[in-house]
Amino acid sequence: MNHGRLRFVTGFLAVPVALYLIYVIAPYAQAFYIALTDWRGVTASPAFVGLENFRRLFADDVFWTAVGHNLLLLILMPLLTVGIALFFAFLLNAGGRGGAAGVWGSKFYRVVFFFPQVLAVAVVAVLFQQVFRPDRSGMLNAPLIALGFEPVGFLSDTGVALWSILGVLVWQAVGFYVVLFSAGIASIPRDLFEAAAIDGAGGAQLFFRITLPLLWDTIQVGWVYLGIAALDVFAVVWVMTAEHGGPDHSTTVMAAEIYRTAFQYFKFGYASAMGVVLFFFTIGFAALALRLSRRERIEF
Amino acid sequence: MTQLSRRELLRSAVLAGIALPALSACATPAGNGGASQPAPAAGATSAANPLGFAEDKPLEIWIFDGGFGDAYAKDVHEALVKAKHSKLEIKHNATKEIAKTLQPRFAGGNPPEFINNSGADAMDFGALVQDGQLADLTPLFDAPSWDDPAVKVRDTIDPVAIELGSYDGTPYVLNYATTVWGIWYSKKLFDAEGWQPPKTWDEFLKLCETIKKAGKIAPFTYAGKHPFYIYETILTLAAKIGGKDVLKNIDNLEDGAWKAEPVKQAATAFAELGAKYLLQGTAGLDHIQTQTAQNKGQVAMLPCGSWLENEQKDTTPADFDYAMFPLPDFTSSDALPYGTVHARPGEEYIVPSKSGNPRAGMEYMRAMLSKEGAGKFMEMVSTLTIVKGAGEGRTLKPGLKSSSDALTAAGDNTVWFLFRKWYVEMHDEVAAATGQLMSGKLTVDQWTDRVQKKADSIKNDSSVKKFSR
Amino acid sequence: MAEAAIPRSRALAREERRRRLGPFGVLTHLALLVWTVLVVVPIAWTFLASVKSEDEIFGDAWSLPAALRLDNWARAWDQAHIGQYMINSVVVVAFGVFGTMLFGSMAAYVLARYRFVGNRAIYLLFVSGLAFPVYLALTPLFFVVQNMGTLPVVGPFIGLNTHAGLVLVYIAYSLPFTVFFLAAFFRTLPGAVAEAAFVDGASHTRVFFQIMLPMARPGIVSVTIFNVLGQWNQYQLPLVLLNSDRSKWVLTQGIADISTAAGYDADWSALFAALSMAILPMLVVYTIFQSQIQKGLTAGALK
Repeated sequence: MNHGRLRFVTGFLAVPVALYLIYVIAPYAQAFYIALTDWRGVTASPAFVGLENFRRLFADDVFWTAVGHNLLLLILMPLLTVGIALFFAFLLNAGGRGGAAGVWGSKFYRVVFFFPQVLAVAVVAVLFQQVFRPDRSGMLNAPLIALGFEPVGFLSDTGVALWSILGVLVWQAVGFYVVLFSAGIASIPRDLFEAAAIDGAGGAQLFFRITLPLLWDTIQVGWVYLGIAALDVFAVVWVMTAEHGGPDHSTTVMAAEIYRTAFQYFKFGYASAMGVVLFFFTIGFAALALRLSRRERIEF
Repeated sequence: MTQLSRRELLRSAVLAGIALPALSACATPAGNGGASQPAPAAGATSAANPLGFAEDKPLEIWIFDGGFGDAYAKDVHEALVKAKHSKLEIKHNATKEIAKTLQPRFAGGNPPEFINNSGADAMDFGALVQDGQLADLTPLFDAPSWDDPAVKVRDTIDPVAIELGSYDGTPYVLNYATTVWGIWYSKKLFDAEGWQPPKTWDEFLKLCETIKKAGKIAPFTYAGKHPFYIYETILTLAAKIGGKDVLKNIDNLEDGAWKAEPVKQAATAFAELGAKYLLQGTAGLDHIQTQTAQNKGQVAMLPCGSWLENEQKDTTPADFDYAMFPLPDFTSSDALPYGTVHARPGEEYIVPSKSGNPRAGMEYMRAMLSKEGAGKFMEMVSTLTIVKGAGEGRTLKPGLKSSSDALTAAGDNTVWFLFRKWYVEMHDEVAAATGQLMSGKLTVDQWTDRVQKKADSIKNDSSVKKFSR
Repeated sequence: MAEAAIPRSRALAREERRRRLGPFGVLTHLALLVWTVLVVVPIAWTFLASVKSEDEIFGDAWSLPAALRLDNWARAWDQAHIGQYMINSVVVVAFGVFGTMLFGSMAAYVLARYRFVGNRAIYLLFVSGLAFPVYLALTPLFFVVQNMGTLPVVGPFIGLNTHAGLVLVYIAYSLPFTVFFLAAFFRTLPGAVAEAAFVDGASHTRVFFQIMLPMARPGIVSVTIFNVLGQWNQYQLPLVLLNSDRSKWVLTQGIADISTAAGYDADWSALFAALSMAILPMLVVYTIFQSQIQKGLTAGALK
């Protein structure tokens, strides 16, 4: 039995582990080495420069601006997305006449809310570029201009642009979590709501006393997904904004700086050093995620 | 190392990657095929094939599919080469994103033979030169010209082009199309309104005021999402005020080059223009959007290069009558006279040294530099070229005629800057800061501080190869 | 008697709540409608712009097109090869997700339910992949795929500019999330059925495929949906790995290319048409399968 067990374990792990080592681990290991060189992408023998890239990185204002934006997104994107999604999930399920079966038309809302999720990020970015246009051909600015207001530079005003990015990210993410949370709420025994309602609990009380505590696990899972997504933001910024993270670096994120430094400035050594820093940021977050999701192990 | 044994090495690197991922780090450079390859050697040369390229290996062409499109390559240059060398297989490609598409090919050691390295996503020439990726074009310039074997290619083109394509004295880049920058307007509109192209800065401001007061149309705009379009005019004005050295110092990363008085004056002048006369929403519009706004009669003037007419050919009304004027005199004591323009050979073409058939790439360039190749290119994409006399007997569109005349009038008074090619980082920072300057978020002093700081940091970055002129 | 009383009290409660939630109900629908508008309008606006002329696009954003310019769609279809890219995307994502789920569930199962030396290390190796920014690996990854292309026999199928090569990369990069999620899921499954099967002499492999995998179906479906969305959205990897063969491109590359192209060619109406073409099939497919998708998604995530 023991022998067969080992063979089974090895057999099941061989292909996934091999694929993973070749395509994921090996490139990353190389990247860590590249971070210690001045490689510009194509030289055969990059010079080893030790921690020089990191030393320079600490004085790189633009990179730290990007870090700041990532941290802001890491906090706000999950907060807003989870908040809005919870609100709608609650309305869809508990707020209506049908009780746990949902308000009238809840199925329709759930389908429509999910739409943005099925669109590719690149598509969403191109779409919102048009929505945000600063003249009267922009979807949002057209009515503003028609009413005599100054158009808002959604993507051109350095004070506004990052919020526009955040808006798009939340716009795309909310639907998924509405669906996730509604299912969570639907799985809460209906009697609990009804008992509470009989006891005179209002909508807000139902939400804070019943929905929120019983949904806490699901919310945590959502938080982890969103956190990873916030650290991975790239396509929206790269495709949508002027100067790829502009104007004037006001929307740039770490991934964009890494991509720019590597594939536009050809400073692969320096870009890899940025990647290493991003790595340590994300590993911290992943450790947190692991801790949150640790569950009882069942062994044979 | 032979090709075969190199492959063995690569394979074992992959296997090492499986066994000991950390060690495979050492394998990284192995993918490059060795940088010490000799410069592309010529095969047997002949009168029909003076560059000695291999006729049995393909010629892979990558054209930047931008303002010029890629039809000119297919219909003009490739046809020329094909007519002369029927055995040579030409693989035509076009892309909008040169770097994203081709940088990995360089990294992989199998770049194509010929690249039109242009556009917003062009590859960094400095890095390519530094890494020995580009073929020395001296054999091309010394080869007999396409039209007359008695004359060298070198003698049929504008010598500035070779100078500008050289890095530390070696020509690596063929700058083919000559671009002239200026302020563009619709001559039809100006004539109808009785507006005159301004000769002095005061006249310019007055014209803007007149247009603004008339209230029908905004006076001025630029591609706000790409502030290059406006820092280009600032630097040209700075050179006009202070002389050619102003830009030379900037290119050479001289200490305090950006803090020179002429640069500050020019920046102040345009910041004022930005505060008063810009089209609404300029900061968020790109070049196509602003240029289309001009075509639609929403804005009177914008700065651009001479590719404009061709770029806008689909949206320009038939009687728009494009024309340009050079930057007006700032004071009566400007270092350079009225008519000075920012002009330089541009639209870069390169032959990667590690491609399979680099000499064929050069032969293609030789065809481009023929009178027929250049002349048809001029007509087709409406731009000037470095080939002397290529426009003779060809009909030019109004905008092209206007820029051609401006170039002739300027004579030796042409200015240019190269840091955009040499240090892409510098360009990005100047663009970012200038966008803020124009929208009033930076003062002129803050602007010079920021830009100078970037210049200094590049100067002190040992990993960036420095160039000078 | 008691049986009759309970439904009646429930009905009363419902009645009671309906009365109390009256104004609340109106506000509910108002809030829900606001978000519906936020979601639908930008998409609908894109469809509208796709049949506008160039002039109309540059005019007032809310004006209706004077005539339906269906030639925009034709242009986007012909010149931008949207159909080809879509087929490529479907092929790559189909194989990529199948491989991801097969290998991911195998690894996750073993890691979740078998104790052996190195278990924790391998699990952490996979999970740490969640934290790897893909931008760090792009260039070395390019070499790896290129080198795979030089392997004997299989090389030509899995090198650069091959869909199979991209599929393998997709699988590898989807493993961290898949293993992380499924391992957690497998751990929560009861072991009784499997143990009974072992007693009956079933092999480990059989237990996995015939007992554990079906039991894990909600989790599998859920992760599959995540992976389909993730791989369908992928832009960076194909950009680097399929760069020089346009006929192999996937949809996101096509769309981004048209977006860049619009900056040079000023063909904005074709851009909107291409966007619409990319959006429409996704919405249709989603709407058809939405109930399965939503069920699978939530069943797994909530376990």
